[in-house]
Amino acid sequence: MPARDLIPSLDPIPLPAPYWVFKLLLVVTFTLHILAMNFLLGGMVLALASRWSGSRERANRLFTDIATKLPVLLPATVTLGVAPLLFLQVIYGQFFYTSSVLIAWPWFLVLVMLTVAYYGIYYVSARTHRQAGSGRWVLLASFLLIAVIGFLFSTNLTLSQTPAAWTGKYFANPSGWNLNLAEPTLAPRYLHFFTAAVAVGGLLLMLIAWLQRNSDAEYRRYIFRFGGKAFEYATMAQFAVGFWFLVSLPRDQRTLFLGDNSLATLLLVIGIAGAAAAIMVVARALRQDDYRMGALGGTATTAVVVLVMAVMRDILRDAYLKPYFHPERFVVQTQWTVLPLFLAVFLGGVALWLVMLRRYPFTATLKSGPARSGAK
Amino acid sequence: MNYPVWDVTFGAGLLIAIVSILHVFVSHFAVGGGLFLVLTERRALRQGDSGVLDWLRTHTKFFVLVTVVFGAISGVGIWFTIGLIHPSATSSLIHAYVWGWAIEWVFFFLEITAALLYLYGWDKLEPRLHLWYGWIYFIAAFASMVIINGIITFMLTSGKWVETHAFWTGFFNPTYWPSLAVRTAIALALAGIYALITASRLRDTSLKARMVRWSALWILPSMAVLPALIWWYIRCIPSELWASARGAMPTASHYALEAAVLAVLTFLMVLGTLIRPVRLHIAYSLLLLLAALGTMGSFEFVREAIRKPFVIANYMYDNALYATPSAADGGFSVEAIDKAGVLNTARWVQHADGTAAGREIFRVECQSCHTVDGYRGVRRLLAARQWDAGQLDAMLGSLDMMHNGVMPPFAGNDGERDALSAYLATLYHASPAPTEGAQLFERNCAVCHQSVPTDPAITAIRSLDPEAASESLKNLPALFVRMPDLKLSDQQRTALVQWIKAGGPPAQHAALVRPNGGN
Repeated sequence: MPARDLIPSLDPIPLPAPYWVFKLLLVVTFTLHILAMNFLLGGMVLALASRWSGSRERANRLFTDIATKLPVLLPATVTLGVAPLLFLQVIYGQFFYTSSVLIAWPWFLVLVMLTVAYYGIYYVSARTHRQAGSGRWVLLASFLLIAVIGFLFSTNLTLSQTPAAWTGKYFANPSGWNLNLAEPTLAPRYLHFFTAAVAVGGLLLMLIAWLQRNSDAEYRRYIFRFGGKAFEYATMAQFAVGFWFLVSLPRDQRTLFLGDNSLATLLLVIGIAGAAAAIMVVARALRQDDYRMGALGGTATTAVVVLVMAVMRDILRDAYLKPYFHPERFVVQTQWTVLPLFLAVFLGGVALWLVMLRRYPFTATLKSGPARSGAK
Repeated sequence: MNYPVWDVTFGAGLLIAIVSILHVFVSHFAVGGGLFLVLTERRALRQGDSGVLDWLRTHTKFFVLVTVVFGAISGVGIWFTIGLIHPSATSSLIHAYVWGWAIEWVFFFLEITAALLYLYGWDKLEPRLHLWYGWIYFIAAFASMVIINGIITFMLTSGKWVETHAFWTGFFNPTYWPSLAVRTAIALALAGIYALITASRLRDTSLKARMVRWSALWILPSMAVLPALIWWYIRCIPSELWASARGAMPTASHYALEAAVLAVLTFLMVLGTLIRPVRLHIAYSLLLLLAALGTMGSFEFVREAIRKPFVIANYMYDNALYATPSAADGGFSVEAIDKAGVLNTARWVQHADGTAAGREIFRVECQSCHTVDGYRGVRRLLAARQWDAGQLDAMLGSLDMMHNGVMPPFAGNDGERDALSAYLATLYHASPAPTEGAQLFERNCAVCHQSVPTDPAITAIRSLDPEAASESLKNLPALFVRMPDLKLSDQQRTALVQWIKAGGPPAQHAALVRPNGGN
């Protein structure tokens, strides 16, 4: 059966706002999600890397510094991930539900793995709080689970945009025990995300170094340099991985970024230039021991690059889906009685959220409670 | 059939049930527990009771580990799971309510942030500020329930939404308010039930006695008003749906009874903690938690069961077919499929002939609720009826009449119905037809005529003389067009009429206490 005939029909309920609104929300919330995910995954990689190398005492301290932040970074990743998952289903449901069903069991197991990884993170955070540096094996297990979850997300989304691969998989195994390993872009795409996470993990360390004004200079300098180097090497490696990803794309999609589509080409140039600029900012900050420049300059430049990459990713998806996806066929019936309420709740929510963070004394020392060894 | 069907051997419905029940049990705690924390903390602060504050600090950790971790992931988990098992229904809920979900997401975000700051704030914040985070947490958590309640009740009683498709019409549907009241009471009660777990671990005996008593007294008022709220809820459910839980549908009736029994047990167990609060053992607290989980699970099972045959009331059947055709429905309505054929309409089918076609039809049309051998396994259900292929075929034509109409109508052409019945007939060996009246009734009539002595068909047979009654059963479709054309022998008809006239089917309440027989 030709792939075109397999594409599920559009939902008969009209879109409750114009298509571009969902697209915008999808790309923006996805960018936030992926930044949080990068801090989480990259932080774990660097915590483990330092724990298995380097001077014992400093490494233990760094391990603790990162591990105690993971119980916040993981819920941030999940919570920020819910929004793009919602908007994705509004406009790409035909593709996303189908690919999910094809890999149903691995996709379902994401939940189990995430729960286990999450409790693992809490365990390590509590343990290393009492005894700095302990719990590395559990953290390794949590890291591996989260890395597998990331791989399954890459798997599902590559499969959702290649309907030609669907029939073979479904009829070979309707119980949902499928993956998408034969997809040539899967490995470079996943590595592209993973490498970015390591780089952003470096930013996390630079941010910690910048914020830890009360720590001793030697330790601050150590984590700043460790993070900066990780950022530099990972971003340099990213050029190779990104190139691999680009050449792995089918010809029609690849040439979009090489002149066929001026926006896509421009974004690629900006992305590459932005990554190079970020390396230069961080290198300069490392030379001058400028914590502020490294942390803020590096993060801001990288955030722009991530946003650009998210838009490119979206262009690529629509290019893949071109024969099957027709946004002009969406019937739109904007829900004017609800949309303003959402905007009001959203703006009010962001304001309240900022007030909550502002009122919280993040840098204050403990008010009371039992004395803890290894506490910052 | 717009989407591929995930073939879950043990039962897709069971998987949804497990994920959902565990989630609601934790998410209601997440709502009520927020209020419990702030009110208990405020009271302890006023009384300057540092022992209580220390316990609350520990209880907050437990609370966050249960709600922020498991509660949040399993909430996303329901969404993952229904997307895999009911993609069309999930898509409907998202298209109709995306702005509701988006509003809920804002509250979810605030809720998680506030919970973490409240947890870490025990060591850092001044009491007033700490309470402020606690209140934000509780209000955000309650607000997300206020939103989700609208969507869940919409699925059960879609009200006038089916005509208007207007957001608020579906949201504030006939069961919105009673359901919100019931869920609020459950949330409050669960807060105390979970608190008994950490309270039972306290070493300081006087503190333990006080906290056990405080938690138990917290639970009792909400449990005491629950029956009245449930009564209100039931009154708002259309009576033809509620009939399913009153005997017409074995599953719903079984769980309704189970919910009532377990609720009473939970209540008594809570009272039990008050006898010797200081002796409360963690094992007892956990058993109490289990009883509450059973109550809540049964309650949700009843809600889901009486909603059948719909996943969204009067809009979409459980097998993703639309109840009434519309221009943009892709041909996935029963009416359209009766004309076009299910195998011509479904996208994810391979075979078009013989029992393989029957198997395909089973997969796309039945498997969202049934399995072959697992949850609601048809092999077991059909083996109990012992229909032969011809009877199966006849019965399939009246699928939507069975068990108070809990199943969608069969959709497809005559050839496809034959194929499905041929496939189903391969699942078991039909024994020779019985000759005894009670058995004949159980096999051939009970599935629609519900063992109700007041059933019009039963009453009619009783009013006729035996010969005329037996004669009338010769041609069932002539009696009522939806009756299956069962070819009973003279001897069988006579036995059946004799049995019905001699007393016949048992009273309706007998069905209520029958163990779960599936549906």
